[in-house]
Amino acid sequence: MLSTVLLFREALYGALVIALACSVLGVYVVLRRIVFVGAAIAQLSSAGIALALFLAGTGVIGSFAGHTTAFALAFALAGAMFFGLGGGQRAGVPPDATIGVSYAVAAAAGILLISKAASGEAHDIFLSGNILGITRGDTLVLLAVTIPVLVVHALFYKEFLFVSFDRETARTLGYRVTFWNLFLYFTLGLVIAFAMQFAGVLLVFDFLVLPAVTGLMLARSMRAIFTVSVASALLAAVIGFSLSVPFDLPSGPAIIAVSGLLVAIAWSVRRMQHRG
Amino acid sequence: MTALISFDHATLGYGRRVVLSDISFDIPPGDFLGLVGPNGAGKTTILRAILGSLMPIEGTVVEAPGLRFGYVPQRDSVDYGFPLKVLDVVLMGRYDRIGLMRRPSRADRDLASAALDHVGVGHLADQQLNALSGGQKQRVLIARALVGQPNVLVLDEPTNGMDLVSTTQILGLVRELHERDNLTVLMVSHALNEVANYVNRIALVVEGGFRIGTVAEIMNEETLTQMYGIPVDVDEMHGHRIVVARRTAPEGMPIVKVGGRDA
Repeated sequence: MLSTVLLFREALYGALVIALACSVLGVYVVLRRIVFVGAAIAQLSSAGIALALFLAGTGVIGSFAGHTTAFALAFALAGAMFFGLGGGQRAGVPPDATIGVSYAVAAAAGILLISKAASGEAHDIFLSGNILGITRGDTLVLLAVTIPVLVVHALFYKEFLFVSFDRETARTLGYRVTFWNLFLYFTLGLVIAFAMQFAGVLLVFDFLVLPAVTGLMLARSMRAIFTVSVASALLAAVIGFSLSVPFDLPSGPAIIAVSGLLVAIAWSVRRMQHRG
Repeated sequence: MTALISFDHATLGYGRRVVLSDISFDIPPGDFLGLVGPNGAGKTTILRAILGSLMPIEGTVVEAPGLRFGYVPQRDSVDYGFPLKVLDVVLMGRYDRIGLMRRPSRADRDLASAALDHVGVGHLADQQLNALSGGQKQRVLIARALVGQPNVLVLDEPTNGMDLVSTTQILGLVRELHERDNLTVLMVSHALNEVANYVNRIALVVEGGFRIGTVAEIMNEETLTQMYGIPVDVDEMHGHRIVVARRTAPEGMPIVKVGGRDA
């Protein structure tokens, strides 16, 4: 079993990098109650990839892999900025409705574009991803995105925390709340755009939400939540991946199943603590 | 005495929509001003102009150089879902002084502990904020406002949703901080009866109308009847002024006298 897993170790490394990046940002996603913003950005990103493939099929752009990344990034960042600025609240539309509209339209647009793309790639690749296809080069690209994002989050932890916890007071102390919010959403869009291309919408959504929920249930401080979130994401990636390869299961759903199991264990532990 | 904040014929609003026009008043050092009015009357508009997040459409709002606010937000604008310790919340009041990419120092932590002691909740420093009662949370937010060593303490609806005991304790604490530290205080509230018995002056905002004066100048039947547009009684009980809207009996219903007073 170990030898089979080692055969796909590059894919495992890639999954671990995605798990690390998403589980750190996921703490803000869960605490700020914007979990479906993560899903919508991932879906927008997938629509960007679909558009790149469609345009490549029609000959408007070349079939260079960088194009799909550029389109994924552009769509994800556009979505992140849109949601970071309030997502249509000024027009009187409730934020969750805007997220729903974005998700549905992006998903449908992605499917329609892919169905007409010459490359003929199945659209469900965006939903379930292709973790096993991650190469050493892909992992290095993921690291090149993840490391700066994590450094930014370590350096500006105070600022991201303050504008997330109490934006009114932050504003009175001279913080440019809109800037810091957009910066936070920008890092989210960046990570999702790159992670989405390998992990798919579903697994990215999982890594953004479930580990942070596990952390929230087990930990009593911000530092502990980050620690538990990262640890549970890495654990789910290792266990899910290791089980999926020898048993010929799809890796993404296997990792998500382990994440779900960890949430259930955390929930049980918390209930026991409350009873005790 | 130079005013800390000075409104000079200021017209306030959003875009072309005018909320309050031509208001002039000063907040001198050591003042304890209650900014009172019903929801939607324009209190928040004035507050934003004071805090510098809203520029006047006409006129000026001038602040003394180096003026620093200690802000206590409405309790529901704070996200209690964050698992933060009380001391860490208070430290946020020093974040702007600490600066970017730097962590709170031992001195910052000592100041935060002292601020908690100052408002009587020093023993809660290691507790989770979301595990505290409403009154305790409000004390923590006041400590956070004080730890930045402000010139003016600004409280936005500090007793909203609190019971009688907590309300009395919080208003008493704010009064004590004003008297003990000679702190300038601006308290925003919709509850005239609560505020009137603690502040020195009242700025009353009602549907575009604005009046400012001492408690005696505002808390009288003539002024309040004129401002609210309905008959208002101001009674006094144990030294407390109480405002009551005069009840008019439905048409055809006789007014019954109970104990010499209208029932």
